[in-house]
Amino acid sequence: MLYDIKLEIDYEYDMVATVGRHLVHLMPANLPGRQRLISGYLTIEPTPAERADRTDYFGNSVVEATLLAPHQSAIFRVQARVERYDDAPGLDVSAPLALLGDQIAAIRSMDSMSPHHFLYASPRVALNRDMTAYAREVTAGAATTFSAVSAVNSALNRYMEFDPEATTVETSPEDAFERRRGVCQDFTHIMIACLRGIGIPAGYVSGYLRTIPPPGAEKLEGADAMHAWVRAWCGQDMGWIDFDPTNNLIVGSDHIVVGWGRDYGDVAPVRGITRTAGDQQSTQSVDVNPVERL
Amino acid sequence: MNLSSEHREQRANRLIAGYERLGDVPDELFDVHGNIRPVWQGFLDYLGRFSDDDLTRRLARGDQYLKDAGVFFRQYGEDAAVERDWPLSHIPVLIHEAEWQALGEGLIQRAELLERIVADLYGDNRLIAEGLLPPALIAGNPEWLRPLVGVKPASGHYLSFVAFDIGRGPDGTWWVMGDRTQAPSGAGFALENRVATSRSFADYFAKAQVHRLAGFFRHFRDTLNQMRINKDTRVAILTPGLLNDTYFEHAYIARYLGFSLLEGEDLVVEDGVLKVRTIDGARPLSVVWRRLDASYTDPLELDEHSQLGTPGLLGAVRSGSVSVVNALGTGVLESRALMAFYPEIGLHLLGEPLKLPNIATWWCGPREQRDYVRGNLSRLVVGPALSTRLPFEFGNDTAVGGRFLDGSARDIDSWIEENGPSLVGQEAVSLSTTPAFSGGRLVARPLSLRIFLARTSNGWEVMPGGFARIGRSPDPAAIAMQRGGSVADVWIVSDNPVSVETMLPTDKEPYTRPQPGILPSRAADNLYWLGRYVERAENIMRLLRAYHLRLAESANEDLPIIRNLTLYLHMLKIDPKVPVPEPLLATIRSAINSALRIRDRFSVDGWTALNELSRTAGRFAAYVSPGDDAAHAYGEMLRRITAFSGLVHENMYRFSGWRFLTIGRSLERADAMASVLAWFADATAPEGALDLAVEFGDSVMTHRRRYAVATNRNNAIDLLVLDALNPRSILYQIGEIKTHVSALPRIGEEAQMTPLERFVLKLHTGIAIRMPSDLKATDFLNVRNDLGAISDLLSETYLG
Repeated sequence: MLYDIKLEIDYEYDMVATVGRHLVHLMPANLPGRQRLISGYLTIEPTPAERADRTDYFGNSVVEATLLAPHQSAIFRVQARVERYDDAPGLDVSAPLALLGDQIAAIRSMDSMSPHHFLYASPRVALNRDMTAYAREVTAGAATTFSAVSAVNSALNRYMEFDPEATTVETSPEDAFERRRGVCQDFTHIMIACLRGIGIPAGYVSGYLRTIPPPGAEKLEGADAMHAWVRAWCGQDMGWIDFDPTNNLIVGSDHIVVGWGRDYGDVAPVRGITRTAGDQQSTQSVDVNPVERL
Repeated sequence: MNLSSEHREQRANRLIAGYERLGDVPDELFDVHGNIRPVWQGFLDYLGRFSDDDLTRRLARGDQYLKDAGVFFRQYGEDAAVERDWPLSHIPVLIHEAEWQALGEGLIQRAELLERIVADLYGDNRLIAEGLLPPALIAGNPEWLRPLVGVKPASGHYLSFVAFDIGRGPDGTWWVMGDRTQAPSGAGFALENRVATSRSFADYFAKAQVHRLAGFFRHFRDTLNQMRINKDTRVAILTPGLLNDTYFEHAYIARYLGFSLLEGEDLVVEDGVLKVRTIDGARPLSVVWRRLDASYTDPLELDEHSQLGTPGLLGAVRSGSVSVVNALGTGVLESRALMAFYPEIGLHLLGEPLKLPNIATWWCGPREQRDYVRGNLSRLVVGPALSTRLPFEFGNDTAVGGRFLDGSARDIDSWIEENGPSLVGQEAVSLSTTPAFSGGRLVARPLSLRIFLARTSNGWEVMPGGFARIGRSPDPAAIAMQRGGSVADVWIVSDNPVSVETMLPTDKEPYTRPQPGILPSRAADNLYWLGRYVERAENIMRLLRAYHLRLAESANEDLPIIRNLTLYLHMLKIDPKVPVPEPLLATIRSAINSALRIRDRFSVDGWTALNELSRTAGRFAAYVSPGDDAAHAYGEMLRRITAFSGLVHENMYRFSGWRFLTIGRSLERADAMASVLAWFADATAPEGALDLAVEFGDSVMTHRRRYAVATNRNNAIDLLVLDALNPRSILYQIGEIKTHVSALPRIGEEAQMTPLERFVLKLHTGIAIRMPSDLKATDFLNVRNDLGAISDLLSETYLG
């Protein structure tokens, strides 16, 4: 699939901001075999005094931008064209659940794809007794890692209700799980806590979702803003597979990847520290449109 | 003199009579055969010379020093932290230099090993690839900071200042119980313990051949200076601030070494360079000795909730423009489970066994180790693998000898089985004992030592001394200060005379002029407010003294002038019926709070004077009665506050900081005078009001001498507003502000007057040309508004 992506995130400050420093994860990634970035621009208003592009620990491209002149608002715009190949998994060749631990232990690497990073509590995802128990319950009888992850994915989609009013970006997974409501970020964090609780490595993927569904299909939840989903390690042979608990599906060509990490904090679209005396408001608009091939 | 030496021996014997060893653990004073160790003999004989009273007096000398220096520690209770006296155990721990030498070699080897390990963890990760370290202990470790992976420290080293907590095991040899690589504290406290202890035993210490500490600090200071990328950049100490329980130490070390003490909000990163915001613009820093845990240092890339950090700091580190000591991320080495792997890693990386063992440790990840721990619960402590606590600092999540400390009846076996990788088992610790003074004699108490190592141009150097922690009771767990433990100096005793080192450079070294000091904006702000609060307190005292004097004279609250003064005080939210009202105490507290934030640039005497003022006010608040008694009390408080002002204005170096303090004082004084005159020099004011104003202005004598007539409005206003020679007049104070403001740095267009200078000059001239008879209450209120505008302009120009 070929997509044109347009995004705008606006921050409005009640009081003038003197300095703003931002880490930006907004550009679709180049992932050989999965996704190709054909062109992409990130513009920031006001124009940053300093701007540096680099690659973070998990291999995501990140822009660090510093706004030094006094400003009342900051606007981040992305325009990108991306080709996304359908890489939904075929056969379940994942590790038998009972052997997954041994397969993880056999990996003596700390590179960014190593499952070790994704097995423990991270700043925004604590391991939690209730979620672990829930995961044990819904995976009872699953023999393979892939089937276990799929089971949690579907179960959570039924257990939780999509509700943009119920939570904020700061809501903890425990809270959202208890309330049984939330948005893609909450679904994703909860599923990560569930999987890690039962020893399955799980990461957080941030990206875009196709806005208008293919003819005859329903519109997906979360398409009006940036989206998030889960990446789970299914053993040596199958590797990392993406699951979308918000929409109860295994990720295919409707999801465009920006980056991934242990949780939201590692790939927050805009992570910023702004010197300002007042509050701030932000709005976001996203358009992800399939491009007709000429 | 045979008699007296016999007498001395008896005394010494009495000191150690009933000295009971605790079980069969080794003791520092007595060897296994019950003989006094030779290193202690001289000191013990010396102590024997004193009567009980003499000894008590000598120990009190050390305590007095600590009190004067403002050394205290914070004890955290259930609801609040309480400041307590520094718990010095006066008897130092004596160790012979031969034993120390061997210990030092072991610690240097360990420091070198840790440097190599941490370089690998942030570099190639060979230790994990080769199976020498389990990935779980690193990947799951919150102190392994991914944004720093692959970032080589600008200085070439990850570790430059480390500490080790050590104890003496049952067989008499030392072992390491904890590695402190993040931002070890205690070295400054060790210095303070040394000063206090050597005051108590000054005559003995001078001849005792005890290794001095200053050389160690001097070498480390030189190392930090040499780390600078060029001579125009600076070294600073980064502190989490006043609320941290070791803040005192940060300020002390900063003053001792001559480095600026800064907080995250003092710093800013511009174009990849870390800078300190000063009253003279942003100045580059290229070395930061941090006393702040790494995760708090940069909210942009590390803990996003940190209020203590500097956004962009990691960018500056990445660009290589700043060396952070120790490098960010080195805290990962403090996790106790890693100790399980050091013996083997030592062999692998250094090709030799550890010279100094660490406490036996088993990580419960692999089945074999887990089973071992489960089978030996009775002699092990089992707790969180990544914890940085010492083996005898138990949490509720700890099982000791097969039992949970919180009394939980959970099954330990299945707890370990289910949580293996996050648990560690360590040998239960028994500590050696050392003498502490209690009830007029020496008693045996458990001892642990923190030893400091610094990287210098000669390689790793061991501080010849340390920070000893002494248990309150025989139980090793009672060693923590929070649990009533105490601390002691450590004397490394030589057989030969030691060189007496100081921090001062010797003649042999080429003279280099020290870098001119910088004044961070935040420090200037605190100095300014310190000046204002102290003056405000003084003004309140003067008004209250005037009130109580009049009350004492007339005993009639309804006298018009007393009623008028009461009304005025009510406007200031002060109830004169309360002899020492809360707003006065609050103002003094605010002054102390401002002073605390600039401890590193504040003299001990100034600090003592301020504290005495606070204590005196607190004491009077408890019992003073209105009238004569209170007037007398305010007389004394005013003398104390004058002592503080005297110290500041006689002794303080005339750097910009002093100017901010003085501007604060002048502004507050001029403002108070304007306010008093607007009220008491008004046509409607009752009889005696002008005299009160003159008295408030401390100008009664001057007035008598100059005018030789009764107070009238014109001569009072002439004296209190327009007399440029009266240091209490408004014109004089604004003149002071004018002088100091014009001496402050001009930022930007060099030749131009700042808007602040212009404004002050205009106000000064505007007042100077007035006649007493023209000045009305509205003029005084205008002066107050203008002073407010000056305060705002000052903040905008220098303090923001």
